[in-house]
Amino acid sequence: MSDLLLVRDLRVRYPLDGGMASILKRNRRAYVDVVHGVSLNIKRGETLAVVGESGSGKTTLAMALCGLVPLSGGEVYFDGKILATGKDGCLRPDRRRIALMFQDPVGSLSPRMTVRKLLAEPFRIHKGLSDDPDRSALDLLSMVGLGTDFADRYPHQLSGGQARRVGVARALALKPDLLIADEPTAGLDVSVQGEVLNLLADLQQEMGLGIMLITHNLNIVRHVARQMSIMYLGRFLEQGLSELIFSHPRHPYTAALLAANPSPDPDATPQRVKLTGEVPSLLQRPTGCEFHTRCPRVQADCRESFPGRQSDGGDQTWNCFHAIV
Amino acid sequence: MATPALDIRNLSVSYQTDRGELRALRNINLQIPAGRIIGIVGESGCGKSTLISAIIRLLAPNARISEGEILFRGDDLLGLDPKAMRALRGNEISVVFQDPMTSLNPVLTIGRQMLDVQHREKHPKAKKRARAIKMLERVGIPDPAEQLNRYPHHLSGGMRQRVAIAMALMTDPGLLIADEPTTALDATLEAQIIYRLQQLQRDFGCAILFISHHLGVIAELCDEVVVMYAGEVVESGTTRDVFLKPQHPYTRKLLDCDPARIKQATRKLPVIDGSLPDLLELPGGCVFRPRCDRCIETCAIERPELKGDRHRVACHVAGL
Amino acid sequence: MSVQRGVIAEIFGRLRKDSLGMTGLVIVVVILLASIFAPVLTPHDPLEVDVYNRLVSPSWQHWLGTDQLGRDVLSRVLFGGRIALKVALVAISVSMAVGLLLGMMAGFGPKWLDRLLVICFDTLRSFPTIMFALAIVALTGPSLNTVIGVIIITSIPVYGRIVRTQTQALRENDFILAERAMGASTARILRDHILPNIAAPLLILASMDVPAVVGMEAGLSFLGLGVTPPTPSWGNILSDGYSYLRNSPWPIIAGGIPLILVTLGFTFFGESLRDILDPKLRGKDGKG
Repeated sequence: MSDLLLVRDLRVRYPLDGGMASILKRNRRAYVDVVHGVSLNIKRGETLAVVGESGSGKTTLAMALCGLVPLSGGEVYFDGKILATGKDGCLRPDRRRIALMFQDPVGSLSPRMTVRKLLAEPFRIHKGLSDDPDRSALDLLSMVGLGTDFADRYPHQLSGGQARRVGVARALALKPDLLIADEPTAGLDVSVQGEVLNLLADLQQEMGLGIMLITHNLNIVRHVARQMSIMYLGRFLEQGLSELIFSHPRHPYTAALLAANPSPDPDATPQRVKLTGEVPSLLQRPTGCEFHTRCPRVQADCRESFPGRQSDGGDQTWNCFHAIV
Repeated sequence: MATPALDIRNLSVSYQTDRGELRALRNINLQIPAGRIIGIVGESGCGKSTLISAIIRLLAPNARISEGEILFRGDDLLGLDPKAMRALRGNEISVVFQDPMTSLNPVLTIGRQMLDVQHREKHPKAKKRARAIKMLERVGIPDPAEQLNRYPHHLSGGMRQRVAIAMALMTDPGLLIADEPTTALDATLEAQIIYRLQQLQRDFGCAILFISHHLGVIAELCDEVVVMYAGEVVESGTTRDVFLKPQHPYTRKLLDCDPARIKQATRKLPVIDGSLPDLLELPGGCVFRPRCDRCIETCAIERPELKGDRHRVACHVAGL
Repeated sequence: MSVQRGVIAEIFGRLRKDSLGMTGLVIVVVILLASIFAPVLTPHDPLEVDVYNRLVSPSWQHWLGTDQLGRDVLSRVLFGGRIALKVALVAISVSMAVGLLLGMMAGFGPKWLDRLLVICFDTLRSFPTIMFALAIVALTGPSLNTVIGVIIITSIPVYGRIVRTQTQALRENDFILAERAMGASTARILRDHILPNIAAPLLILASMDVPAVVGMEAGLSFLGLGVTPPTPSWGNILSDGYSYLRNSPWPIIAGGIPLILVTLGFTFFGESLRDILDPKLRGKDGKG
């Protein structure tokens, strides 16, 4: 089956104002590499989880794929065809076929529009897909399990979970082929997280949707994503089948992330992989393998160059000189 | 038995709104023994913010404490005058919030704020600075002396939260209230902060009231846990008892929903059907009844009381 | 449409609780009605000269006395009000509309356009209004339209700047990004998502601007750069009264009072409106 989305060596670089860069004495560079060479692929009906901490660049990756920030390198193929970039350097995807769900459920809805208007809007922007946008708006509400009484509410009158569902409805209004969901469970209570994820899974099955799920919550990845990629400072460090990665992580960072999850079992002793410090600032990118500053398995060659991709022939690849065996 | 650090007895708080009386907390009973860490597990709408505001006595103007006592080391906080309460706040009782920028002033340097926190001490400035540096070291801030000159926005979220914790513990409080301090942080940062909190608690010996909806964090950090739902305490006990042998239907369902607990990868994640009751118009009987799958007739008529010895439950069908 | 009705009803509801704001609104309404119905309300013709009754103190015949030509001051004040409000209405509507357009373009458009517009705004704003008026009057001669024109030109940059700042702030919000991700055109975003969210502060600004504009008109007319005699304007009532202050203080008092009332009324109302429309100041329900 051909790929729905194929990304090759995507790069996003933000320029820094001259003034700023000179104030930060330690760094002479005039730009920041937020996405530093990302390659991935997603097939129809499949879910890929992009996992990373804050500062890893995952949100920027999502925005670049949707044409909201300019690329500084790489190619993106959608359904076999390469996506063109505009004069501003941003991709020009077919906006009916790629949809984006934002992290802040309430903040991503225009505050002075009712839910009805918000759900009818996609049909007004892309004419011809519905004869009666208001009617379609109500259909969307029931698709996500919200009653018609929600149609006249404003975003600030919705709870986190309800706003989330409106976000899903809006994203899927035009029946896209690919959905990019940025932290769909962030800020939601545990008892409500399942609702959103189940809804997405159901709709995925119905519509044959490909999903790129961005999250830092490893707990849900195991259940909803067949494939996953671990991102650090703009690059993928490990990629492959979730099952394999969870049972046998190869990259020390992956192992640390998995072990960092506090377990809800009071008897479990934390097997803390000693992960010190924080994600380094993008302005002071470490040399070689960027993870070496925090890696428990670091050795001399890690500081020299970034490791190439390795695999053992199965559906798992990693970039590490001293991977876990 | 030593006086508990905090003893909340039968506390009820309501808000007067345009649409009527909103009963945010009802008959809350909660004890924090000195030097122990108690966790509150609750989802949005359970009343934890109101509870914290009630303890530090900074409730909204339209709030009313209809009954109950809040005893801090034996003294009823509700009987104190504003001056006495101010003396306790930030001194004997400290709070750390979810957003560190609630505690940190964006226009003052970290150093200035850490010195200000010590305003009640009569030490010379140099000594206060030294104490501040030591405290920053203990929460794991690198180059503490240099950080004193920086502003909050120079620090990352994780660092800011650590500074907030450092400030809260500087006065050696008897009680530290932590309101979802790690919810906004990544798992790795969360783990580090939990680790530091454990260490600090051992060293300082303060009691901690830790509120979170991350079940894993509560399980790891807290000795005892209280489960709250829609303004009531539904279950409480040691973390082992509550997490391994949950008695209340809500606790059970909540634990079932946690994806971390589900060993087998599944496509359909469990949820709790229904939604929170309207606190303006509470149904009679048990507050969880509309969403409970184990209720009996009594549940609709009589409100269950918190019963039990060490492991307490407010449920008519628990133990049946 | 039901949304608008709901909003207005809510505003009135809150306004009722704010006595200062209500006072302001009452004053504003009174002034508006008095000006609109001036021809009906005035007992005399404001231009009617009666040399035998010069500088008369207030009496039953002339409630505010007469000026140096025997004209009834009250009538002149009422008609002056029409001028003042006409200037305010026209000048503010036009400058707000143009400022809105340019401001949104500057805030949302390409960087070069932004820079260009900011230079224009700042250049225009750096001219003191009076000097500017003098220059224009030297070219075109004094008239009401000159006044309106000058005020418009010096007000556009003010509105433009504010709209620009507000637009820039909104531009980076998630919901704007969401609209772009959905494929909404710039025009749609500006019309449906930026404009409604900056309308409130803009209207409040306009309301607070009325006293300033009225004051500017009065000032320019006072200096003889605006409305030409014999047409009454609060400004030239004041300048006439000033010349004859030793004979009778009443023209000055009469000319000054409406200015004070306009300022108080619109300021009270505008401030009250700002408090009402500021979402952060809305009370919480007190959920736990």
